[in-house]
Amino acid sequence: MSELYFNRPMPHGGRLVERVLTNKKAAKKIVDFCEKVGAVYEIKPTLHYKRGVPVRNVYREIMSICYGFFSPVEGSMTSKELELVLSKRRLLSGWVFPYPLLFDISKEDYESLKAKGIGEGDRLLLKLKGKPFAILDIEEIYEIDPAELADRTFGTPEQNPEVVREKFDDKHPGWVIYRSHQPIILAGKYTIINEPVFKEPFNRFWLPPRKCRELLDEKGWRTAIAHQTRNVPHVGHEMLMKNAAYTGDVEPCHGILVNAIIGVKRRGDYPDEAILEAHEAVHKYGYIKPERHVVSFCLWDMRYGNPLESLLHGIIRQNMGCTHHMFGRDHAAVGEYYDKFATQILWLKGIPSYGFDKPPTEVEGGLQIRPQNMREFWYCPVCKEMAYSENCGHTKEKQKLSGSLIRGLVAEGVQPPAIIMRPEVFKTVVKWWKTLGYPFVNERYVERKEKELEVDVPDLD
Amino acid sequence: MEYILEVFLDDYRLSKIKGTPVEDKIEAVFGGELKVLRVKIGEELKDAILKAFETARIDSRSCITDTPVAFKRALFEEIANQKTLDESVVKAVLDRIDEIKEMAAKEAEYLPPPEID
Repeated sequence: MSELYFNRPMPHGGRLVERVLTNKKAAKKIVDFCEKVGAVYEIKPTLHYKRGVPVRNVYREIMSICYGFFSPVEGSMTSKELELVLSKRRLLSGWVFPYPLLFDISKEDYESLKAKGIGEGDRLLLKLKGKPFAILDIEEIYEIDPAELADRTFGTPEQNPEVVREKFDDKHPGWVIYRSHQPIILAGKYTIINEPVFKEPFNRFWLPPRKCRELLDEKGWRTAIAHQTRNVPHVGHEMLMKNAAYTGDVEPCHGILVNAIIGVKRRGDYPDEAILEAHEAVHKYGYIKPERHVVSFCLWDMRYGNPLESLLHGIIRQNMGCTHHMFGRDHAAVGEYYDKFATQILWLKGIPSYGFDKPPTEVEGGLQIRPQNMREFWYCPVCKEMAYSENCGHTKEKQKLSGSLIRGLVAEGVQPPAIIMRPEVFKTVVKWWKTLGYPFVNERYVERKEKELEVDVPDLD
Repeated sequence: MEYILEVFLDDYRLSKIKGTPVEDKIEAVFGGELKVLRVKIGEELKDAILKAFETARIDSRSCITDTPVAFKRALFEEIANQKTLDESVVKAVLDRIDEIKEMAAKEAEYLPPPEID
C-alpha cells in the first residue's frame, strides 16, 4: 500500500531558504557598523505612479523571501536573473519562478547612497518604521525601465495569445505595481536581523514554511491541499475546499491549508483581518472540522497574474509542505485580461509563450505540488444544493455564486442568505466593518495599512 | 452581448413595486431566499457604466457588479418610477451621473454597518 502514498514534496529548489539572524548581539554589531558608515536605508512604500497611493511595500517580499515562502529565491534579483525570469520564468539556478522580485530605489536615493560611498559589494541596513529590520548585501546595481518591466512581466495578447486576452494597463493592480517601481535596482541577498512581531489578528495565523511543515507532521497530515484566498469565504469557496480535498492518495486529503495573501489589495476586496478571521470561522463553527482545516497567510502585494500568480502560489504552498493545490476558475484574476481558465491551461497543458511547453510539474526545475483543477460550483434549484458544474445537468436553471454578487449584498446592508454565506462569516465581516468603518478595502484602509503595517518592529537593544 | 444589472429587494423595496407590472418580473433565487430584479442592457450602456465607476466590473454571470450603492439606489428609484425594467431606467440613472458620483465619493469613505448580533 505504501507505494500508493504521496510523499510531502521537497521545498522548491531542494531546501528551504531561511535567512533570519536570531543572534541579537551579532545583529547589533552589524547595525553599528552600517550606521557608522552611513549604509542605512529606510524602506519606503511603492506609490502608484500616477495617483501616489501605496500599492506595495517591499518589506512583505523581504519577509516572504527570508522565511522561505519564496524558496529558492534569496534576495533581490540581478539583471541576468531578471532577464531570465521575464523571458523564461526561470531563476539562474534553473528553478521555475514567475515574477521579478526587486529592491528598487529612486535615483535621488541612489545618489545619496553613492555620495556615502555605498555601492556594489557593500552591505546596506534596511530600516522599517525607523528601526533596524534587515540587511541587503549589494551584489549589483542596475537601472530598469518600469514601463517595460510591467509589460514584460505580464505579457501581451500578441506575445501570449494562449491566455492573454487584453493589453494590461493601469486598471490592473499587478501591472501598476511594476509600473510604479523606482528605476534603480539594488540586487543581492536579504537577511532579516530583527524579527518583526505580528499584530492581532495576524499573529494567530503566522505559519512560515518550516513551522508549517512541523505542524503538518504533528497533525499527521500525509496529504494536504492548499486553498488560495484573497477573499472571505462564501459557500462556493467552502464547497471548493471540501470537494477538492476529496482528492488525495488512497484516501481524501488529510487536511486543507488555507493560505491567504496579505498585503495591498484592490479597492472592493475585503480587509485582510476579515479574510483571516472569516476563514477561521469556517472551522470554528464546524463547517469543516478544525482537525482538518488550518488558516495561515503569506505576505505579498498581489499581482493578480492568474497563471503566473498560480505558479507563485504553487511554490509557496509546496514550500509549506502541501501535496496538492486547488485551482478554480479565474484564479487570482482581475478584469478580463486573461482567459478564465488560464491557470488550468498552464497546469494541464503548459503555456509555451510563458516558458512552459509542458505543465509546470513536468518541466525541468518545475514544481512537485499536484494541481487539483476544479471548475465551479453553483446553486442548483432543481438539485436544491450547491452543485459542481461538471456534475449538475441543470445548466439552464443554475444560479451562479460570485464574490461580486455577495459584495453587492453586503454593501447594501443585506445579509446574504445562509445558503451562499454562513452567518458566522457574515458576522465576522460586520465585526471588521464596525472596526474599520467600511466593509471593503478603500483608500483610507490602504493608507492606514501602509502606516501601521501588519507588524511592529521591536527595539534591537 | 447582453449584460445584467441586478437589484436586490428587501421588504421596503418590495412594497414600493407592489401592484406594478415590475412585480411580475421578480425572480427568487438561491432556494427562494433572495429576491431580485434583473435589468438587461447592451454594450453601449455597459461601457458607459464601466467608464463612470472605476470599481465596476463584470462577473462570471455577465452581471455588472461593484457599482456604488448610490447607483443601485438610483436604479431602483427609476425602476419604481418608470415601472419597467427597460434600458430607459439605466439611461435615466446615467443622466443623474454627477449627483450619483458625488454620493459615491462619500460612500468610498463610509458605509453604515448593519446592526446584527
